[in-house]
Amino acid sequence: MKRWQIYFSIVILCTLMISAAMFNEGYAGIFVFSLIINGIMAVSYDIPGRALGIISLGHAVYFGIGAYLFGLGISKGLSFFPSLFLTVMISFILAMLVTLLLAGLNHGYYSLATLGVLIIFQKITETLEGVTGGSSGLYIPEVLSKQDCSLLAALLLLATAACHLYFSRSRWGLYAKETKASEAGAEAIGIPTRKVKTLCLMTAAIPACMAGALHLARTSYVSPSSGFSLALSITALLASRISPLKGLPGPLLGVLIITAAEEVIWTKFEGFNHAWFGMILLGAALYQGLSSEKI
Amino acid sequence: MIQVLISGLFLGGVYALLAVGLSLAFGIMGVLNLAHGSLAVLAAILYNKSLVFFPFTPWVFCILALPIFLAFGCLLHMVIVAPFRNLSLSDGVVASLVASLGIALILEDIFVWWQGWEPISTYIPFPTFSLLNLKIPGLRAVLLGMATLTIGLSALFLKKTDLGRSMRALAQDKDAASLYGIHPGFTSMSALGLAVILAGIAGIFYSSLYPLGPRQGLDLTLKALFIVVAGGMGNLRGPAVAGLALGFIESFASFFFTYTSTDTIVYTLLVAYLVFKRSGRH
Repeated sequence: MKRWQIYFSIVILCTLMISAAMFNEGYAGIFVFSLIINGIMAVSYDIPGRALGIISLGHAVYFGIGAYLFGLGISKGLSFFPSLFLTVMISFILAMLVTLLLAGLNHGYYSLATLGVLIIFQKITETLEGVTGGSSGLYIPEVLSKQDCSLLAALLLLATAACHLYFSRSRWGLYAKETKASEAGAEAIGIPTRKVKTLCLMTAAIPACMAGALHLARTSYVSPSSGFSLALSITALLASRISPLKGLPGPLLGVLIITAAEEVIWTKFEGFNHAWFGMILLGAALYQGLSSEKI
Repeated sequence: MIQVLISGLFLGGVYALLAVGLSLAFGIMGVLNLAHGSLAVLAAILYNKSLVFFPFTPWVFCILALPIFLAFGCLLHMVIVAPFRNLSLSDGVVASLVASLGIALILEDIFVWWQGWEPISTYIPFPTFSLLNLKIPGLRAVLLGMATLTIGLSALFLKKTDLGRSMRALAQDKDAASLYGIHPGFTSMSALGLAVILAGIAGIFYSSLYPLGPRQGLDLTLKALFIVVAGGMGNLRGPAVAGLALGFIESFASFFFTYTSTDTIVYTLLVAYLVFKRSGRH
């Protein structure tokens, strides 16, 4: 990564940190918080997405798991930090299970399976009405002030960005690049490809789980469709892919573009938000296809 | 219990029809078309709208609408296949998957705007008959017969016609097929046209049996995709059998468990099958 790209990333991260401290209430507060949450999702998605070249349509499954586990902890009487700690621990085990199951799949199959897993979790939370509140969702009382939630989310974004940077420069990052180029070739030179994939996917899963917990702490409400949301998965995917920049600045710039576009779509084109998302997806795919740049 | 089995058979027939089209698209062009189910919903909406003016039976409408479905297939080819022909197979699969997801999302909003949130139901009254003390709904039996006939005709088309043979050759080796004078662009466009025809027929049949929501396209696609993965890409027999199996599973799951848990069971089984099936692995 070039020096200016590092400075660019630092500027975006610092701006988000300052905005999180300054804006907490009203529309500005919600917008900044959405930017930060989308940022965490996009940067965490980009770790395996860019390094391994895989497309996940179910990244939001970790977000939903985090939100629901945190919500259940709070509704059982735990306070914020013990509940968050428990969420991270259980999420780690669940994410490990999902990752171990899916890490061996081919690219197209992997995308398909992640979408399937997202729907499974959505349906399970809808079915377990007594525990999760069913399709009407789960409400929790306010456990942390909005400013604290925003600041914690901004810190989580910073940590995720640091993970992204560290991973891309570590030997595991190089292993992942080699695995992306040729899995058989990587195995031939002794790279444990399965382990590399699992590590990559796990590094992406944990920040997403914590983002889910922090989102619930701020909004006090999660439902199966908002927690295990396909739209959130697509936002992360698009933010990671849409920017021409590589490395950490890519998803950070992508998230600024996508979240701003989302806001315009929600306010100006009500009822057609899926269609606009679809157009952006189609445009991104066609751009990559027409320029023959491999995804 | 027998009644549940029969109900599963009818549902399975429609799933098989849907999956066969998807299998054709993947086998010949390497396209995981996530808009497949949305095209089925589109066909159902078109049929529903046409019923206001002409009381066609589903099978008559299917025949009349064949050119429309074919045209949709050709249009779709220009957007989700042609732009990605320079990419490698795995990159092409992912790019077409993303592009077709985009199309599916666009169509979903258009359907809601056009049709509203009301589920589409094109049920037409048809007599029920008894066979060995079992009540068989006439419409379902006819539609099952039509679905079987459509799959059979598709198989015959692929085996006996020049275009069908070209499609099979393209599925086996694109470069070798080109050397023998087969035009890959035209052949793959025809294959996608056929796939969309099958999706359209499935959508019309489905809406004649069950209410079909305007946003149910992606759900249908996913089920069809898993059926294709379970039954095998690029052939017709495998997905047809797997489609029937899914129909039975759904029927039994909704009989033994609550209606809401049916999807959970079905998707869990499908993902488990995908994960443990060897063809999905490197």
